[in-house]
Amino acid sequence: MTAESPQTNRSLRRRTPLSGAAFWRRLRGAVGWIWLVIVLLFIYAPILVIASASVDPGEYIMNRAFLQFPPKGFTLHWYFNISPSMWLTITNSLVLAACVSAASVVFGVPAALGIMRGSFAGRNVVSSLFRFPLQIPFIVVGVAFLQGSYVVAAATGINLTSSLGALFLAHLLVGIPYVIGATGSTLAQLSPRYDEAALTLGATRWRAFRRVTFPLILPGIFGGALFAFLVSFTDVTIALFLTPQGYETFPVRVFNSIQNDLESSLPAAATIVFFISAVAILLLQRIAGMEAVLRSSGSKSDK
Amino acid sequence: MRWGLLVISPLLLTTILLSGSLFIFLSSSFHEDLGLGLLKEEYSLYNFRQILVYPSYLESFFLTLRLSLYVCIFTLIITWPLSYILSRLPPKLSMLFVGLILASTFISLPIKALGLIILFGTDSFALDVLRSLGLVDQDFRFVGSLFGVGVGYTHLAIGLMVMMMFSVMQAIPKSLEDAARIHGASWGRTIWRVIVPLSLPGTISASLMLFNLLTGAFVSATLLGGGKILTLPVLIQQSIILFNEYGIAAALAAVLLVTVFALNLLSVFAASRLTPTTKVIA
Repeated sequence: MTAESPQTNRSLRRRTPLSGAAFWRRLRGAVGWIWLVIVLLFIYAPILVIASASVDPGEYIMNRAFLQFPPKGFTLHWYFNISPSMWLTITNSLVLAACVSAASVVFGVPAALGIMRGSFAGRNVVSSLFRFPLQIPFIVVGVAFLQGSYVVAAATGINLTSSLGALFLAHLLVGIPYVIGATGSTLAQLSPRYDEAALTLGATRWRAFRRVTFPLILPGIFGGALFAFLVSFTDVTIALFLTPQGYETFPVRVFNSIQNDLESSLPAAATIVFFISAVAILLLQRIAGMEAVLRSSGSKSDK
Repeated sequence: MRWGLLVISPLLLTTILLSGSLFIFLSSSFHEDLGLGLLKEEYSLYNFRQILVYPSYLESFFLTLRLSLYVCIFTLIITWPLSYILSRLPPKLSMLFVGLILASTFISLPIKALGLIILFGTDSFALDVLRSLGLVDQDFRFVGSLFGVGVGYTHLAIGLMVMMMFSVMQAIPKSLEDAARIHGASWGRTIWRVIVPLSLPGTISASLMLFNLLTGAFVSATLLGGGKILTLPVLIQQSIILFNEYGIAAALAAVLLVTVFALNLLSVFAASRLTPTTKVIA
């Protein structure tokens, strides 16, 4: 406000309500808002179009759904006609993402504690090794795990690509860094004095961790877990190489469906899945706070 | 207590998964590809020579870089002012909008691609607008055009870039702007002499990260490129799914990886080189 005061005074003296500087200031404000709205419209356009197509009665041409925008009517028909196999892909995605998220916490939280609290040679090397998987393009991760699982199958007879095993491991590799990042950044802000105070007051190490440190870093852990969940839930690039027939995840189903026979209930299913992600993101914001999310998303490597 | 010991099991897991997959995969790039999923026993640089000899591979490499560069620049033009605006809004409002933008990055990419395909369908309203503006020809098809892939890339890029740039802009204290204004600098001059130099290191490393990410982008290039826009990731997938050429695919992936790592190093270097300057300015 202080910066604007010279101009404000001048405009008051002239007794003109919108002279020079004030006019430009308002214009800048208006342009800023318009800019923001346009960008939001642009990035939400695809999902808005899909939501509208999901209630469009629609037409078939040669067995292939003809999806259009703007829609020509309104029906909830498609929502009740999502095929059981489509529901199965959604369940697959949810279960996989939940497992990945839980396992990422099991491995990621100790790693974050070790890196932040421990003092050992090569700590920086270790922490950059943990971040390394995020720098590899997802397509390379996918192809590499496909070939890795061939080698495992040849050596041990365990075929990881006949179930979601290989995909789980691949997602775990990229899920762990998110948990480490989110937990680590909460830990970094946590003063060691809380722990020291608990110890001085006679708590054991374990009790101090369980009753003081752990509750304080819990939001960070949740943030990381939800991030890992969302990355696994939305990934298609890795999944494309590692999902066997019958175990497709939802994004893979969408991918294949676009390339082959566009199913007409696809927009309805996609809209439902979008709402599942939206709930997860809302939880993420509520629990972990926006700041933590931004910090961990800085390293978001994708697709 | 030994906190450091906690690192051991996650470290083992990460190392095994990384070496078990990446190492095996990349080592196959040094075996001559015989087609049909077969590789020669001896080590050779055959696959890499193939990449250099056949112009289509090199073309694809440069197409990937060019496309990423254009989208990166376009995204920067959109998001730089946007992040500044967002960072100067009241905290509650800015969190709301940043949250909305973040949420959009978690819409699965094939879903976004499907939305764009419907939006720019053959007889769609959006395409009519583009046609009447004279931006595209009468027989223009969205799927399979460079424009389509570019729009897909931009969708992926904007959200992530805003995340990164917002933190950069937020780190610049409002008091510096105020100081400049009190000393008589105009609004434009304040932006040019205060915000631009202070945000430069962050902007450069964010752009490099984005560029990096775009070179590996696969979903939009495949679905919106309709098999006509052959970027490196698309070629990698095709050589595996369509032609079963693991050697060539591994060599292409190695090229992609080296490019990405080089850019990462560059961004780390840029960040470390540029930070001291900002401290002096601040």
